[in-house]
Amino acid sequence: MALLEVHNLSKTFGEGDLAVQAVREASFAVEAGEVAALLGPSGSGKSTLLLCLSLIELPSSGTIAIGGRMAWRNGRAQVEARRYRRENIGFVFQGHNLIPFLTAQENVALAMQLNGVGKREAARRARELLAYLEVAQRADTLPATLSGGERQRIAIGRALANEPPIVFADEPTAALDTERGRKVMELLRRVAREKRSAVIVVTHDHRMIEGFDSVYVMNDGLLARQR
Amino acid sequence: MDLALKDIRRHVGKFIATIIGVGMLLAIVLVMNGIYRGNIFDGIWLIENTAADLWVVEQGRGGPFNESSRMPADAYKSVAAAPGVARASPFISYAAQRALAGASQQFTIIGYEVFGGLGGPGRLVAGRAIQAPHWEAVADARLGLSLNDAFRLGSHSYTVVGLTRGAVDPAGNPVVYLSLPDAQEVLYQQDSHALVAARAANAKRLDRAGFGTAEAAKILPLLAGSTATVNAVLVQVTTGHDVHEVRSHIERWLHFSAYTAEEERELMLEGRLKKMSAVLGLFRSLLVVVSIVIIALIVYVLTIEKIRPIATLKLIGAPNRVIVRMILEQSLALTLGSFAVAYLLMSLVRERFPRTLILLPEEIAITFAVMLAGGVLASFMAIWHALRTPPALALGG
Repeated sequence: MALLEVHNLSKTFGEGDLAVQAVREASFAVEAGEVAALLGPSGSGKSTLLLCLSLIELPSSGTIAIGGRMAWRNGRAQVEARRYRRENIGFVFQGHNLIPFLTAQENVALAMQLNGVGKREAARRARELLAYLEVAQRADTLPATLSGGERQRIAIGRALANEPPIVFADEPTAALDTERGRKVMELLRRVAREKRSAVIVVTHDHRMIEGFDSVYVMNDGLLARQR
Repeated sequence: MDLALKDIRRHVGKFIATIIGVGMLLAIVLVMNGIYRGNIFDGIWLIENTAADLWVVEQGRGGPFNESSRMPADAYKSVAAAPGVARASPFISYAAQRALAGASQQFTIIGYEVFGGLGGPGRLVAGRAIQAPHWEAVADARLGLSLNDAFRLGSHSYTVVGLTRGAVDPAGNPVVYLSLPDAQEVLYQQDSHALVAARAANAKRLDRAGFGTAEAAKILPLLAGSTATVNAVLVQVTTGHDVHEVRSHIERWLHFSAYTAEEERELMLEGRLKKMSAVLGLFRSLLVVVSIVIIALIVYVLTIEKIRPIATLKLIGAPNRVIVRMILEQSLALTLGSFAVAYLLMSLVRERFPRTLILLPEEIAITFAVMLAGGVLASFMAIWHALRTPPALALGG
C-alpha cells in the first residue's frame, strides 16, 4: 500500500464564467522512502496541489489518504486540519521560514512540543536531530546568523521533528547555490531512505532533477508522470 | 515554549524602549491621580486639621475659604456666650505673596488666638508653638525656612519658632501661622504716605461739610477703617450638646452664618474643588484611554511584524491558543512593565513635585486593574488579525 494516495483531486477557484481550475483530477501515489519531484512552470498549480494535500486549501473534489487512512473524501475533511498537518506532514519552504526569535534547536523543539512532547524531551530530541543533520554546533544560534544552507538544514530538522510520514519541500534549493542545493537534496534523499518518509519536492530547478525516484510534471493544472 | 518571552528576548532593547515610553505616559496618569486626590486633600486640610465643630462667618457668606467674610474681632465673645459653646476663637486667613527664604513665594497667613485658641498649627515637626503675643511665627517647611530664621512681613520681623510639614491652604500653598494681632497688622498695614493722603482727603470732605478744625480733628480718627476684624469664629461645642442646635442658636440670635465641620468640608468639595476635580478626572480618564490605545497599537505592530512566523506556526499545526497566548503575554508584559516603570518614576518625582500628590493604595490598584484589563482588550485587534492570517502566507502564496 502506498503511503500517500491521491485520486482525482481537483481544486477550482471562483464560480461560473470566472471559475479557474487550478488542479484537474490529479491522481498519484508515493511510497515510503520515495523521493518524488513535482515540476512545472510558475502558475501551473504545483503550490495549489501542495496546499490541497496539506488541507490548507480545501480540495473541490477527490480523495487523499495517508497510510491507508482517509484525510479528505466526499468534499470534506475526515480529520482536524491542523492536527493532520502536525502529525503527518513536515514542511520545508523555499525561504526556510524559521521562527526568527527562536534558536535552531528551539525551532525544531517547538514542532515537537506542539505535538505534545515535553520540554526537556523535545530539547534532547531536537539536539539529536540537529546532530543527524550535521548542524549540532549551531543549535543555540538564531536563524539570522546562520548561512542559507544551515537554515535549510534546520528547516528540514523542523520538518522531521515529529517523524512525519510525508515531507513537502517547496522549492527547497531555489535560494541556494548549486553546491548547497545539491547537499540539501542529498539530505532529503537520505531522510527518505533512513526515516522511511515520502518526500515530495516541488521545484522548477532542473539542475536537481537527477536522483528522484519519480518525477511528475504539472501544466495548467494537469498532472502527468514523466518518470 | 514561551514564544512571547523568546520574542521579547530577541528585541529586548526595543521592548525596553517601548516600556519606558508607555511607562512615562502611565506615570502621568498616576501623577494626575495623585494631583486629583492631592487637590481634595489640600482643599480640606485646614478644615480637617482645625479642631472646630462649627465655623461661624459673616451672615449669608459661604465660609471663610470660599467667600470673603468679615466680622468684628470681638464677635467671638458673643459666640462664646451662646449655650452649648465650650470654646470660641477668632480666626483670620488670607493669601500673601512675599519674599521668603530668598524667593518670592505665595503662602497663606493664618492668625489665631495663640493663648489657648482654636485654629493654630497642629503637629509640629520641629520647634514649639507660638508663646508670645508678637513677632513669633510657625511656618511650613515647604517655604524653605528653618528654626530661628527671621523674615520680614510689613514693618516687623518675625522669628520662626516652629515648623510644620504639609500645612497647606485650600489652594495647596504653605501656611504661616501668626498671632491674631500680628496677622491683622500685616493684613491691614498701609503705607504711611497712603495713610497721610487718606487723612487729607477726609479732612477736605469734613471741611466742605462745614466742620471746623477742632471738630474735624475729633472726627478724623473715627473715619479710619477698622482693623479689628476677623474672617471667622471657630467654635468647640460642649460635650453632650447637639452641634446643630448650637448652630441654630448662633444663626438665629447672633445673625451670623455657621457651618458644621462636615458642612464646611462639603462647601469646599462642592464649591471651589468641584470643577478642578472634574477637569483632573477628565484628564486622567483621557490619559488612560490614550495609554490603552497606544498599547493596542504597539501590540498590533509587534504582531504585524511577526505575521509570517505566525503563518508558519499555523502551517506546522500550532493551535490558535498558542498564537493567542503569545500575543496576550506580550501585551501583558508591556502593560506590567510599563506600570512598573510608571510607579518607579512617580515614586522618584513624588517628593519633589510642586503640588501635594496623594496616592491611595486602592486607587493605584484600581488604575493597575484598569490598565491590565485595557492591555488585554488592546491585544484583541492583534489577535483578530493573527487568527485571520492564512497559513498559506508562510509559503509565500
